Amino acid sequence: MKLDRRLLLNFDWLWFLSLLLLSAAGLAAIWSTTQGTNLSYYVGRQVIYLCISMAVFLVLLYFDYRVYADYITIAYLAGLAILGLVLVVGHTVHANKSWLSLGIFSFQPSELVKVLVIVALAKYYAEVDRDYLELHELVTAGLIVLAPMFLVMLQGDLGTAITFVPLYVGVSFLAGLKRKHVLVLLIAAALVLPAGWMMLKGYQKGRIVAVLNPSSDPHGLGYQPQQSKIAIGSGGFLGKGWKQGTQGQLGFLPARHTDFVFAVFSEERGFVGSITLLGLLLYISVRLLRAAREAKDKIGALIIMGVFSLFFFHILINAGMVLGLVPIAGIPLPFVSAGGSSLLSFYAAMSLGLNVKMRRFVN
Amino acid sequence: MVKLQLEIGRQAIQQRLNWLFYPVILIFALFAVRLWELQILQGAEYARLADQNRIRSVQVMAPRGPILDRFGVPLVENRPSLNIVLDREMMKDPAGTADFINQKLGISTEDLAVLLHRGKRAGPFHPIAIKDDVGIEEVSVVEAHKREHPEIQLEPVPRRLYRFGSLAAHVLGYVSSVTEDDLADEVFPGIQSGDVVGRTGVERTYNQCLMGQNGARQVLVDSIGRELGQLDEKAAVIGGDLQLTLDYDLQKQAESLLDDNVGAIVAMDPRNGEILAMADAPSFNPNSFASHISAKDYNELANDPNRPFQNRAIQNTYPPGSIFKLVMAETGLDEGFVDDSTHVVCRGSAVFFDNVFHCWSETGHGYVDLEAAITHSCNIFFYTLGARMGIEPIAKHAEALGFGAATGIDLPGEHVGIMPSPEWKMKTRGEKWFGGETISVAIGQGPIRATPLQVLRAVCAIATDGKLVTPHLLMRAERGPVPDSWPVQQLPIKPESARRIRAGMWGSVNNNGTGHSAALPGLDICGKTGTVQVVSSEHRKEIKTDLSDIQNHAWFCGFANRDDPEIAVVIFLEHGGGGGAAAAPMAQQMFRTYFAKRGHPELSNKGAAGGPGR
Repeated sequence: MKLDRRLLLNFDWLWFLSLLLLSAAGLAAIWSTTQGTNLSYYVGRQVIYLCISMAVFLVLLYFDYRVYADYITIAYLAGLAILGLVLVVGHTVHANKSWLSLGIFSFQPSELVKVLVIVALAKYYAEVDRDYLELHELVTAGLIVLAPMFLVMLQGDLGTAITFVPLYVGVSFLAGLKRKHVLVLLIAAALVLPAGWMMLKGYQKGRIVAVLNPSSDPHGLGYQPQQSKIAIGSGGFLGKGWKQGTQGQLGFLPARHTDFVFAVFSEERGFVGSITLLGLLLYISVRLLRAAREAKDKIGALIIMGVFSLFFFHILINAGMVLGLVPIAGIPLPFVSAGGSSLLSFYAAMSLGLNVKMRRFVN
Repeated sequence: MVKLQLEIGRQAIQQRLNWLFYPVILIFALFAVRLWELQILQGAEYARLADQNRIRSVQVMAPRGPILDRFGVPLVENRPSLNIVLDREMMKDPAGTADFINQKLGISTEDLAVLLHRGKRAGPFHPIAIKDDVGIEEVSVVEAHKREHPEIQLEPVPRRLYRFGSLAAHVLGYVSSVTEDDLADEVFPGIQSGDVVGRTGVERTYNQCLMGQNGARQVLVDSIGRELGQLDEKAAVIGGDLQLTLDYDLQKQAESLLDDNVGAIVAMDPRNGEILAMADAPSFNPNSFASHISAKDYNELANDPNRPFQNRAIQNTYPPGSIFKLVMAETGLDEGFVDDSTHVVCRGSAVFFDNVFHCWSETGHGYVDLEAAITHSCNIFFYTLGARMGIEPIAKHAEALGFGAATGIDLPGEHVGIMPSPEWKMKTRGEKWFGGETISVAIGQGPIRATPLQVLRAVCAIATDGKLVTPHLLMRAERGPVPDSWPVQQLPIKPESARRIRAGMWGSVNNNGTGHSAALPGLDICGKTGTVQVVSSEHRKEIKTDLSDIQNHAWFCGFANRDDPEIAVVIFLEHGGGGGAAAAPMAQQMFRTYFAKRGHPELSNKGAAGGPGR
């Protein structure tokens, strides 16, 4: 099989470079905050994850995205089966039974299933030959999303389960929502939210309350957002310098290498570094939206919309959480946070996005 | 067909994507603004918070100043000890901490709640002491669980050590940790939670001088409180020395004399009011307060019918008995009721205001002048004098000598006693004064009440031709604030009056008087005994019991030497029996100890010092 030269020309190198820069920033922050602690093995692991992710990224880029659409039904069902399997044989980390052990590495299939859901959803909506959706299509698509989401919820990983919602909303929005359906969705959300509040565990409710006024209770549930704000705020304009962040170095920041890695980065790199990081994330978001506009076909646009929804929602929640604007949820910052499953799924998803863009002129 | 479909859909899709740009940009802008707010606008404040996170100020408790006797013998010092404290800042799981404290340290949940409530005022960064002065077992428990429970820590604390246990306990007082009320009341200026303050005695009076300045260590810690290094140290400054006027040997002698009695002994320098000894029995051991005294032990002391906390020398009042005859004599002499020829013939009893009053000697003293009346403590002489003078001049002179008023001693909680007078009676009881009451007061009975210290001070004024001193315990304080001077008031007592009274007192000790048991060879001791009837003689015959609480109170008050007084002593024994029999021999021992220590030729060799106990 010979790779079309045009594909290489149309490959968005800047976009790809941005991803690498994000990963590098993450790696530096993880290194800084775990060096000399019992978490120091995270750096090496992250490098390995990055290599694996890169391999998967390239492999997925090689084949036309329409090929994936052809096989998505089987892949989707396989994904569901694996999620079911995790429920039976998976092991528990932080009260979430969402991990599957693969030799020396543990793996969260729920992260990769998101990518499958994006393609499945795109494929289903692409076959609708109207520029809006009927109710039965919305419901069917809802079931496509709900099935894996439900299994992830059963694993106890509420944070990951919630990330399925923006996929559904985002892709459906692009496929065309009728006004009355938007209204119905909003009403449904209004009804589900209070019910969801009741279903939340005590600590989860506390997290939400804590965001409203973290300073009131520095040792309780507001501890994390407060420490995170202290880390970021104390970074000032230029930051404390690499490995000089006291909040991260002395362990005041919880989950500092994973969910709160942005705070570690901000403390050490200051306002300048943080804005640069945000700029990269914005640049990638805009690239995704542009690529969707330029997509050759509807399924390509829809796939990119799914990738965008997933990416942007993670940024929204993670940055919002680290900046003390939204409640704490175990949601990583794409490409930056330590963690193999999330890194892999984001590189896979981005690969789809670049894939669509790269092939926009090719038949 | 497919192509056409795509073209239909494309426009709508592109339109929708265009809409999406704006909220995306908006949200990123919001994050940028938030970063600006946190890092630029509030950067300095968060930098301070971050510093606080890793730099912890650890308070170093300052030891209180030592307390010494007049010769420099340390009476109170400090010893090192460890408290278990709860650092709430480190506490991640309050329920787990409570369980640990409950199970491993044996503190009930209720007690812990009380401690935590007490600590609330201290602020969240101030560790709360949950167990004081712990032993090696508890230290091991805390050390062993350092990792799981970093919030349970050991804090080195200097603790008060009263070197001689209960010696001078009422003078020294005791200390305890400040309470929430203390912090609210501002009784003690500048105290912080965790400080220790004096509660009674000189610990209380001179708390300011004795309290040191707590130090602080700035330590670098990680999030579980492990010390990574020390940045700065402000050393604790020990409190100032406090030197008292007490004489350790005399104090020890006084306490051993009191032994099982209930009573008080005070020795004072009559020239300046320096207290040389102030003993009180029963007593308590202030060391038991230095660590947390258990509620049971405290209640036992507080509810003891003999009230061991009470300093009888200044905090209880009694009829002064025959010692008051000295005040009568001074009044009579200086008001001109008594001259060289004044005398009575004592036949054991006499009638005043239609009532029969008895002398203690049933056969009577016969012809007595003023000196003899003092020497033999003749009641009839003073009844007669009292009847002649009336209550007003007596009250006036007694008040001038300090009866019914505080002496001004530098100890808290002094009682003032009662000097009866017509105004006093009208004010307190709304009744007129009866002449017959003057007769009782004339021999120090009836409603008159005085503390042993008031009695001693009045006698000292007679010893020094009218110098009314302010009794005090402070000799020297390294740090203020302390009074500049102890006022000495010159009373308008004629030297000749004082001389005649002293002559009577000298006779009491040295010329077959009631105080002869106080005599020592080579010394001109002057004294006066007192025996206070708790129950009238008639009544006593009726009940015919030797229950201790209807026993007489025994008094002796005296000084030495007659012509150059340097020590005055008062002995008071509650239900101790007769003043001459019970109190005077104790005074003798006090004088012996005092003069022996100062190299008196006939007393300094203790083996040969068997004084004539006539």
